[in-house]
Amino acid sequence: MGHNSQANTLQRRARCWGIFRRRFPNWSEPVSAAMHISSHQQQDGDLAMSDAHMDSGLRYTPYAIPSHHWRSNLYKQDQTHGNMEREQKPPERRKEGNRQNGTLGSWFKITIPFGIKYEEKWLLNLIQSQCSVPFTPVEFHYEKMQAQFFVENAGIAFALKNISDKIWDEDNEKISVFVTPSEVPYSVRELKSENVEQMKLTMNNQCDASQQALDIQRPPVDPNMTGSSNYGIEEGRWLPSPAYELAGVLDTMPKDLNIESLNVSKNKVKSAGRMDKGKELQPEKMSADKNTLCTTFLDKSNNINSILELFPKLLRLGGQESSIPTLRGIEAHKKLPTCKGSFFGSNILKNLILQFLQQYYLIYDYGDRKSLLGTYHIEACFSLTIPFHPKDPALSSLCEYFKYNRDIKKLKDSYLRRQLLKYTKCDIVDSLSVLPKTRHDLSSFVVDMWFQTETMLCFSVNGVFKEVEGKSHGSVRAFIRTFIAIPGSNSSLCIINDKLFVGDPIPKGNQSTFSIPMATPSSTCMPALSQEQQEMVQAFSVQSGMNLKWSQK
Amino acid sequence: MRKYRGDPQGNRERYCGRSHYYCEDPQKSYSYRVKQTREDTVTPPMSEHTYSGSPKTMSVDFKTYVDQACRAAEEFVSIYYETMDKRRRALTRLYLDKATLIWNGNVVTGLDALSKFFEMLPSSEFQVNMLDCQPVHEQATQSQTTVLVVTSGIVKFDGNKQHYFNQNFLLTAQSTPNSTVWKIASDCFRFQDWASS
Repeated sequence: MGHNSQANTLQRRARCWGIFRRRFPNWSEPVSAAMHISSHQQQDGDLAMSDAHMDSGLRYTPYAIPSHHWRSNLYKQDQTHGNMEREQKPPERRKEGNRQNGTLGSWFKITIPFGIKYEEKWLLNLIQSQCSVPFTPVEFHYEKMQAQFFVENAGIAFALKNISDKIWDEDNEKISVFVTPSEVPYSVRELKSENVEQMKLTMNNQCDASQQALDIQRPPVDPNMTGSSNYGIEEGRWLPSPAYELAGVLDTMPKDLNIESLNVSKNKVKSAGRMDKGKELQPEKMSADKNTLCTTFLDKSNNINSILELFPKLLRLGGQESSIPTLRGIEAHKKLPTCKGSFFGSNILKNLILQFLQQYYLIYDYGDRKSLLGTYHIEACFSLTIPFHPKDPALSSLCEYFKYNRDIKKLKDSYLRRQLLKYTKCDIVDSLSVLPKTRHDLSSFVVDMWFQTETMLCFSVNGVFKEVEGKSHGSVRAFIRTFIAIPGSNSSLCIINDKLFVGDPIPKGNQSTFSIPMATPSSTCMPALSQEQQEMVQAFSVQSGMNLKWSQK
Repeated sequence: MRKYRGDPQGNRERYCGRSHYYCEDPQKSYSYRVKQTREDTVTPPMSEHTYSGSPKTMSVDFKTYVDQACRAAEEFVSIYYETMDKRRRALTRLYLDKATLIWNGNVVTGLDALSKFFEMLPSSEFQVNMLDCQPVHEQATQSQTTVLVVTSGIVKFDGNKQHYFNQNFLLTAQSTPNSTVWKIASDCFRFQDWASS
């Protein structure tokens, strides 16, 4: 016997796991349960033969195995090549295994060998009952004899790995759970906008040495092997240390893990995605390089680190620790754009909007808000939202606003949702009139004019105001108010939507920067636009192509 | 298959996970079943609407608009931020071709520019704390059904400190006989660092 006897593997099939355990409880090296049946692989001298560290050629591969073969004893095969090194895995592997990384976005493939024996719901229920963290299995499926699914979280993957062999089926046979990093499952696959070039650079620094290290560690695997990308799962269940599971994971990486080709393939896909932005990427492009399994589309540097935690060997290149922080640099290259001040689109619009705001707040702060009636469209809408205060709203400093608070994230009642949206200008000015009196700091205003057509203008105002009466006298509030306006009578803006957020300012600034509004009240009615202002409105009309008849209504 | 332990409390939904579906060509994705693609915000088809008519008709229509706006806003917001966080490359599918984004005062116009912009942004974790919406009157939109959606919350961009943010969207409806897909016509995003202003 020996590995070449695998030429007869058509007659040999995976064994019932329980029988194997009972017979060979003391095997100290990971052994696969099944054998290759591909003659191509058997003839490949590299396959599981020549490497002294290779345990055996009996790698678990998910080929169709008739059930009546399950019970024959596979393990009379040559098991000489134990991987002694694996027995001496550093104990800190366990620590790494326990470290939960809550990062989302890194995918792991969970494999239950012989999972095909179990019904999906039952199996998942069982796993979940033992697993300390809730998980959402993605793409649960059976592949040959395995049950497989994906999870999107290193912490969850670790938790699942930890329950391996701690669950039993109805025959009191242990159920193993194997975890390997994987690509984003096909059903959810989207390329992340990673800087793959940078990753290539940093990983290449480790590449040469790591290739060396990886070659030694890993058994050669036939790169042409098709079928599950998860070939070569080690069944080292009787080993006490999770280090062996990690070893098993490492062993699933192909001998010729080619980081270059990985990056190239990713780059290819990426550029394909750019060129055909209207089309979806073809599946075959996305899985261009079957050899580059056990990678993850990384969208956060944390994911890289969590992957590396699973592959501690990558950290020890020729005896040196690699520096994970290099890879953190990938995301750090992405800077946020600088925040800029107000955007108006044009000077004309700037003047129009600023004058509108000046006049509006003149009345709002100093006058009778009911006289804002002329500013609103007859069918205008207004609503107000404040931050949620789970404690007694009466205690909140924003309690004056609370009765108008419309937050559909929390408010689910349709009737209330409609009620709290003030509709028609009469209702609106009535509501505004009962809100606390204010003084707005026009110098604090940051305005964004963010949509403009010939018939409408949308702009948002960020700023602060002070309350000047009532319980919260002197309180400074922060607000964002979004106006949608249409050209109104008298060449003014007519508000058709008004949305106000009021909150407390971030308590890191100095409220002393609040300045008293500069405008002094001169009248309590909405002043007509001056000649100059009318000209500006006309300019707005011309610029936007608006029908001038609107402004003359 | 061998017998298995019976499932005491079937709760299959818990394990449904995500069904296997592929991302379609965005052009094709508008032929509709509801939720054809993950990124679409789809609502039932809209009835004929008019603001004119008797007061009763008006209020009935308005109620419908409010309800529809709320439905669209809720669905849209959950899709938008999930896409932004987890499937950033798909985000531009939510925008009209000529959509504009004003991001902290930076202007980005058109899908190409948006695509580059979103790619350039670090990865994000958004938490929406407040959400409101209003239907926009047809007089402003020239009868193109539009909803104003406003959100507020916290965002953490990778490598940067956390920020409060406010975001405004104009969502506009693209209707087919079977359903309505909502897309962003314009988007205004700002951090809130009021105290420093």
